[in-house]
Amino acid sequence: MSLLRGLLGMDLIGTWVRLFLSFREKLALLDSALLLDVPLGVISRIEKMGGATSRGENSYGLDITCKDMRNLRFALKQEGHSRRGMFEILTKYAFPLAHSLPIFAFLNEEKFNVDGWTVYNPVEEYRRQGLPNHHWRITFINKCYELCDTYPALLVVPYRASDDDLRRVATFRSRNRIPVLSWIHPENKTVIVRCSQPLVGMSGKRNKDDEKYLDVIRETNRQINKLTIYDARPSVNAVANKATGGGYESDDAYHNTELFFLDIHNIHVMRESLKKVKDIVYPNVEESHWLSSLESTHWLEHIKLVLTGAIQVADRVSSGKSSVVVHCSDGWDRTAQLTSLAMLMLDSFYRSIEGFEILVQKEWISFGHKFASRIGHGDKNHADADRSPIFLQFIDCVWQMSKQFPTAFEFNERFLITILDHLYSCRFGTFLYNCESMRERQKVTERTVSLWSLINSNKDKFKNPFYTKEINRVLYPVASMRHLELWVNYYIRWNPRIKQQQPNPVEQRYMELLALRDEYIKRLEELQLANSAKLCDPSASPSGPSQMMPHVQTHF
Amino acid sequence: MEFSELIRTGQAQAELLRGPEAPPLRGTLCVTGHHLLLSPGPQATPDLWLLLLRSVDSIEKRVAGDCGTITLRCKDLRVLQLDIEGVEATLNIARSIEALSSLESVITSFPFFYRPKGLRLGDAWHFHPPERYYKRVARETNAWRLSEANEDFSLCPSYPRAVIVPRAVNDDALALTARFRQGGRFPVLSYHHAPSRTVLLRSSQPLIGPQKRRCAEDEALLRAVLAGSRPGARGFIVDTRSAQTAKQARMTGGGTEAKAAYPGWKRLHRPLERGRPLQESFVHLVEACGDLEQSMDHWLSRLAGCRWLAHVKEALSTACLAAQGMEREGACILVHGAEGTDSTLVVTSLAQLILDPSSRTMAGFQELVEREWIQAGHPFQLRCAHSAFSHARPKHEAPTFLLFLDCVWQLGRQFPLSLEFGEGMLLALFDHAYASPFGTFLCNSEQERCLCEVRTRTHSLWSGLNQLKEQRKLRNPLYVPNPLALWPSVEPQSLRLWQGLFLRWTRPPEPSEAAWEKVWQIVTDQEKTEGSQPTVSASELQL
Repeated sequence: MSLLRGLLGMDLIGTWVRLFLSFREKLALLDSALLLDVPLGVISRIEKMGGATSRGENSYGLDITCKDMRNLRFALKQEGHSRRGMFEILTKYAFPLAHSLPIFAFLNEEKFNVDGWTVYNPVEEYRRQGLPNHHWRITFINKCYELCDTYPALLVVPYRASDDDLRRVATFRSRNRIPVLSWIHPENKTVIVRCSQPLVGMSGKRNKDDEKYLDVIRETNRQINKLTIYDARPSVNAVANKATGGGYESDDAYHNTELFFLDIHNIHVMRESLKKVKDIVYPNVEESHWLSSLESTHWLEHIKLVLTGAIQVADRVSSGKSSVVVHCSDGWDRTAQLTSLAMLMLDSFYRSIEGFEILVQKEWISFGHKFASRIGHGDKNHADADRSPIFLQFIDCVWQMSKQFPTAFEFNERFLITILDHLYSCRFGTFLYNCESMRERQKVTERTVSLWSLINSNKDKFKNPFYTKEINRVLYPVASMRHLELWVNYYIRWNPRIKQQQPNPVEQRYMELLALRDEYIKRLEELQLANSAKLCDPSASPSGPSQMMPHVQTHF
Repeated sequence: MEFSELIRTGQAQAELLRGPEAPPLRGTLCVTGHHLLLSPGPQATPDLWLLLLRSVDSIEKRVAGDCGTITLRCKDLRVLQLDIEGVEATLNIARSIEALSSLESVITSFPFFYRPKGLRLGDAWHFHPPERYYKRVARETNAWRLSEANEDFSLCPSYPRAVIVPRAVNDDALALTARFRQGGRFPVLSYHHAPSRTVLLRSSQPLIGPQKRRCAEDEALLRAVLAGSRPGARGFIVDTRSAQTAKQARMTGGGTEAKAAYPGWKRLHRPLERGRPLQESFVHLVEACGDLEQSMDHWLSRLAGCRWLAHVKEALSTACLAAQGMEREGACILVHGAEGTDSTLVVTSLAQLILDPSSRTMAGFQELVEREWIQAGHPFQLRCAHSAFSHARPKHEAPTFLLFLDCVWQLGRQFPLSLEFGEGMLLALFDHAYASPFGTFLCNSEQERCLCEVRTRTHSLWSGLNQLKEQRKLRNPLYVPNPLALWPSVEPQSLRLWQGLFLRWTRPPEPSEAAWEKVWQIVTDQEKTEGSQPTVSASELQL
């Protein structure tokens, strides 16, 4: 028996279920009223609290910090040293890497009738975008990850740049992450290109090949004589990066370019900001000064800056008819946020369930967002400075957009929350490792199940009933603080005072109405059939349902 | 008085800018007794743009060269800009608008001239009187009666002619009680909660004064309330002032019920802001929402600084307290503040929405507004004389009714299926309370409305809203009747800024309306398919 604390004001007495022993998957606690279900992957830190001599109720036990905005506290009885065993087992399976054990995803033998690994095929995705074309080619130069070990095998580069050019450019870009195409506008053919910072350094080094390469990119667009470069960082940080060998594209070296800084802060700032959010929502919501406390976390302000940056990129490409280069320092955090959000705004395909999966798979997973480092899968070093909620922030931005455009996305809130849950759970291989080359070495696609298998085999659960498919509509969300909200259903979902309405009542009611209508239509058809059979004269009911049917169907 | 005396210039050429979303309009501007008209030239669309002058809250004029600009800030929070040719014309038009929009006479106001097609005068005026509600109460309990002691408004000028009082109390006793309550507002029934057999009452403060006066009839009335309720019922007096303010009110002749004088009744103090501070909150919030220039880094603390959401929270939680007292504790509740015409009504009307499913229907909600606000004597004319833009020092203005509407909106957001009316209905009520072609929100009390013959000479807003063509805007297509009480969450993270009202004119409305439209389509498709079924079966029968 153990006592669970931490769910505000609720004490639960229950029995440990040793599920995690057999499946190594999750920690569960059974209680008559509630089943606590915590995937072990979510655990960030396990601490012992109190000692053998500590007194007072619930002063002895385990304190578990989770990656998904909650803490759990297990109060245990002091006699029998029950804690030690529990602590050891939990530590072992929550942090398998420290114990040379495999991550749970490699042991998971779940079967789904859809294979999520087939969702993303880079060649197909580029073909969908109309690539290659006479300005852009697909290159296999990175087939063995020799050019850049954190990039995918397949890259799209300017037709006029040779593989040798690419190699020379790689020497001048941080971690060899050269500018490559992410997305091409279907009509005006302007492009979004992503990369890392140029290695300018203190001395202001220049590289002719890099300069020429960007000029080649510029020339693929004949509508505007300029190439726009968005540096995601605040300009001070970009300058400071020169000290460590980095920097940005200066005016005098890169002619015909315009450089803008987007003022988005780095991973450390974001981590601290989210920490503050947790402080004001868990275990108690900071009530007396809610709005000003929320403001002091700066979380929404960061969301605003990311969205504003992405809007600028999208607008530049769509209305400004200019090609755009996006980078930050290494080009795998803020750059991924900006390119993927801009693509979501520009290309309605990515707003479908599969399209969004492809977007995540492409811009985040294949282009080397360091999921393993940022999340710390199976790693016990909870204070690692590499951890940061960059991907969560991206999903938050997507949620903000879906709030503002309730009919534009095929997926619902549950889809986004499910993605975030499995970002930590380690049940699927999708978010494991830092880059494609590592995943290939570990044979992730062969040895683990994809998260998209779970989602795509049960798509209805994740569908937004209000979705209206629209082609070629650019979405510009309003990124003003007035229109951004804290995602209460995610950040405060563990607070029992927040009413969990799952599934969303509006969606459910809407589905009911849809079903009802379908039923009426069906019954009507039957009646009509019976009718026309009897009458043998369809003109008998001129204003009847026969004329309405096509009308009804055209809406959906 | 003739309107023509106030109109300096009949017409001028002008361009109207209606914010970022609507295209500008050019044409001939024209001031009439009640309206500002802009008629585009004959070549353009024949649509006439029309603004009720009464809805202008403040006016600002600027001249430069040989043209001028008038900025109109409307009571519905819209900001309009008119660019007018000619300095003289600009000044004259501005002066005319100023004079006409601030006329105080009720009987020359537009509702007395408004004769829309399709509506008959007097149609909906007898739609929702207290008598109708009494019939419902009488079905549930016989401890209450309808009293016409106030037939000539002599007991209480701000009450309607008929009120519901304990059966055990006769009209003479009522007259004495009325003298013991400020403005004559003796305790009357506001709502009977049949499941718990308890009641919600409202009144004004008792006139205790420094001498600690008592009134045997008042005490007897409240005793009778408990006696008429379920056996052993207790009572709570929810005073919407702080204990200290209530005590201080004794110095000016008011006060609050002494414990010893009212056995069985327990007093609770839940201070709610009213009057000036509420109006200031409103003004600051509208200012913050309209200030598009300011650096948005401090939006949240600015929003917090306006304290509007704090008022919403307090109002909702006090209403929850009253509702809980009835439903969970089986207690009778008396709500009052000082006058009993403002925060008292917010609490009693919200408590009913929480408890009473029938008040959440379209008809029930209209009845609630009519009974608990209009008939109950909320001084609309004083409170809504200006909204958030007026430069004049506020005298009696306060957005009490808006606070109620905002609370209802929060309720609707938290229970998206349980209200039959939608945001459109709440917006319409806000707009019409401040300026309307209908007579419903005119005057401050039933007595005044009788003197002005509002019922016979103007159209009721309810008949306007209940026209078929208005329904799509006003109804919630997802409504499913919910027999349960709605307990809203009043945690700060559950309450939101009502963007649909406060940012109505600055945000692009299109996306959420698209979703709304989709739901309507499906609902009407269904009704059509449903409706067409009998025709099919009828023809079947003919065979």
